Amino acid sequence: MKRVVSVSLGSSRRDHRVEVELLGEKFEISRRGTDGDFDKALALLKELDGRVDAIGLGGIDVFLYAGKKRYAVEDGLKLMAAVKKTPVVDGSGLKNTLERETVYYLREHTDLLPPGVKVLMVSAVDRFGMAEALNELGCEVTFGDLIFSAGIPYPIRTIGELEEIAARILPEMVKLPFHMLYPTGKKQDSQDEEKVQKYGHYYQEARVIAGDYHLVRRYMPGLTGQTIVTNTTTAADVDFLREKGAGCLVTTTPEFQGRSFGTNVMEGVMVALLHKPWAEITPGEYLDLLKRLNFKPRILPLA
Amino acid sequence: MASHAEITASLRAFQSGYSKNKRLKIMNRDWDRVVLVKAEDIESEHTLILKDGELSLMEGNNGRADLIVAADSETLADMFYGDITPTEPYMNGTLKITGSEDDIVRLDFISLMIWGE
Repeated sequence: MKRVVSVSLGSSRRDHRVEVELLGEKFEISRRGTDGDFDKALALLKELDGRVDAIGLGGIDVFLYAGKKRYAVEDGLKLMAAVKKTPVVDGSGLKNTLERETVYYLREHTDLLPPGVKVLMVSAVDRFGMAEALNELGCEVTFGDLIFSAGIPYPIRTIGELEEIAARILPEMVKLPFHMLYPTGKKQDSQDEEKVQKYGHYYQEARVIAGDYHLVRRYMPGLTGQTIVTNTTTAADVDFLREKGAGCLVTTTPEFQGRSFGTNVMEGVMVALLHKPWAEITPGEYLDLLKRLNFKPRILPLA
Repeated sequence: MASHAEITASLRAFQSGYSKNKRLKIMNRDWDRVVLVKAEDIESEHTLILKDGELSLMEGNNGRADLIVAADSETLADMFYGDITPTEPYMNGTLKITGSEDDIVRLDFISLMIWGE
């Protein structure tokens, strides 16, 4: 049996373990949260190195993208560097493929993403493929990177402006401790009520809310039937979204035993299946494997 | 070591860069803050006041700071002239910023929007 472990800076309350069979191979997939404790994450990564088939880094992005530029988060690189033998991934390679495909799938097979629909992406630099696909299909997208990651009430309306601002700020911002830019640990279990009041209207003005689940959750006000496109949701998260008034949940990663895993986990599984070094895997190979696995977005009506 | 006058000049350059940036003013409309800039190796204090998106500068300390930015005079002058970014001195402890994490990120952001690539 192959073992894939996701080591996350997120809350340990979301830990879980499942066994699945994919393309004839048995996998044990587990997630271990370190409650925002960076040193604990480092120690766990060192402990797992060489003892499992692939490691995913959760609760942190190692690579952010805007246009053709890639920005490496220093805290993420430190975590990656702790693993010497086992392939270690952050999900960014798969995101670029899988989440584009999710957008195309929703356009082709559902009425959830009609042309001109208003979409709020709570953060785009961590899933630039999805941002580009939404833009390409003529959605009216608001990129909330500044609003929700830096507390600056400035909605970015175009991919061009997103790239321009990213080029100015990301080369330096990625050097800051990651917890200054993204909710880690216990912050993932609560909402920021002040910002919900202040920025909730961006959610209410949209029909589709897309992006990282922890950001989506942290600032979510009461909704009126909006569609949520995200992943890493648990059964409790589904209840939360239903209570908030979301109309539909789309998860980009498949559900295993009630849980949609993070892209870092799925990328770890794919690396273990492909038997190739992570850096050598092309988007085409991910795409081909996604087809062989018959991975499709999960669409869950909530109303 | 930079002089008080050099720090003043660097802060004026920073203020000028800010004032020319209409988008930055829009971004900061909601962020009214008083920032004390204090040199640790010479007698030098300045106060930056952000109100309704506009940035003003005064010499001295008005005693109402939400954020305190403290470093040696050379680092302050280099930073406000845009020769160095605040991130590196902040991370290595040369630059100390006292305030909420959200405010520290915001100040870093303003500096990068003025002087970033």
